[in-house]
Amino acid sequence: MKSADLKSLIVKSLDLESDPREISREIEEAGAEYKFSNGFGEKVLGRVYSSGSAIVRKVEFVRDLNFVFYRLALTGVAAIVILLISIFIMEGSFSIDSFLGLGNNYDETITCLLTGY
Amino acid sequence: MIKESYRQTSDEELVRATLDGDKKAFGEIVSRYQNMVARTVKGMLGDSVYAEDIGQEVFVKLFYSLSDFRGEAKLSTYIQKIAVNLTLNEIKRRKRFFSMFSHKGNDEMHEIEIPDHDTEEKRDAAELVNKALMNLDPKFRVIVAMRMLQGYSTKETAEILDLPLGTVLSRLSRAQEQIKSILKKI
Repeated sequence: MKSADLKSLIVKSLDLESDPREISREIEEAGAEYKFSNGFGEKVLGRVYSSGSAIVRKVEFVRDLNFVFYRLALTGVAAIVILLISIFIMEGSFSIDSFLGLGNNYDETITCLLTGY
Repeated sequence: MIKESYRQTSDEELVRATLDGDKKAFGEIVSRYQNMVARTVKGMLGDSVYAEDIGQEVFVKLFYSLSDFRGEAKLSTYIQKIAVNLTLNEIKRRKRFFSMFSHKGNDEMHEIEIPDHDTEEKRDAAELVNKALMNLDPKFRVIVAMRMLQGYSTKETAEILDLPLGTVLSRLSRAQEQIKSILKKI
């Protein structure tokens, strides 16, 4: 196929009215065919099946890790919620003192605790 | 049971057999779709050694994601999506790499190896198509590769690229304008 004909075929392939399958076949016949080298399939199978078990183990480990992470995160969130509720019930409000557990202590009590007198 | 030949086997059966550990079944999938992947990858990246690596990567990724394949779309569409995504990622990666180390922009991306052909005419044709594609903007190149090399309709292209049909139509029209001006210079 001459260069000018091929150029017009390339432009025509993008026309909405054209038949893309027919034109792609013509372009391939003209010489624009794309293939992988010989032995491509064997290389792929070699990569997949030689490293397969190691990769599968790695994927399983990551999945397990994600699962454990979600369980830990949910447990942590639940513990925080329970703690907040218990603080609110015991102290009646959310304040820095109640969070630090100082709500029921007087300064003298702390001095006693720290000095032993 | 491992079958001796899978030539007549449907894609769904091949997927099931591969998941059951049948190596030959996956070999048949590779052999069935490697030319389709080559058209996409080499059409978008040029006929280079990198394209071979990306081609292999497509099938490796397919293998590890086969358990997620629900059969809602055709296997060819599923593979094509993987091929397009990996190729676009590679184009972005190379663009970043070359922009860091060179002031010539992404000219190096256009270094392509034209494979041996029976005749000089065919070799020239392959070179012309490659040059036209490599000079296109990547977002147009993928649309052109899908239509010109794979022969997909606009609807099929939209499905593979996860784009609205209107976007594909407008990109196709702009790609045609761009390719016309590229072909004038070649």
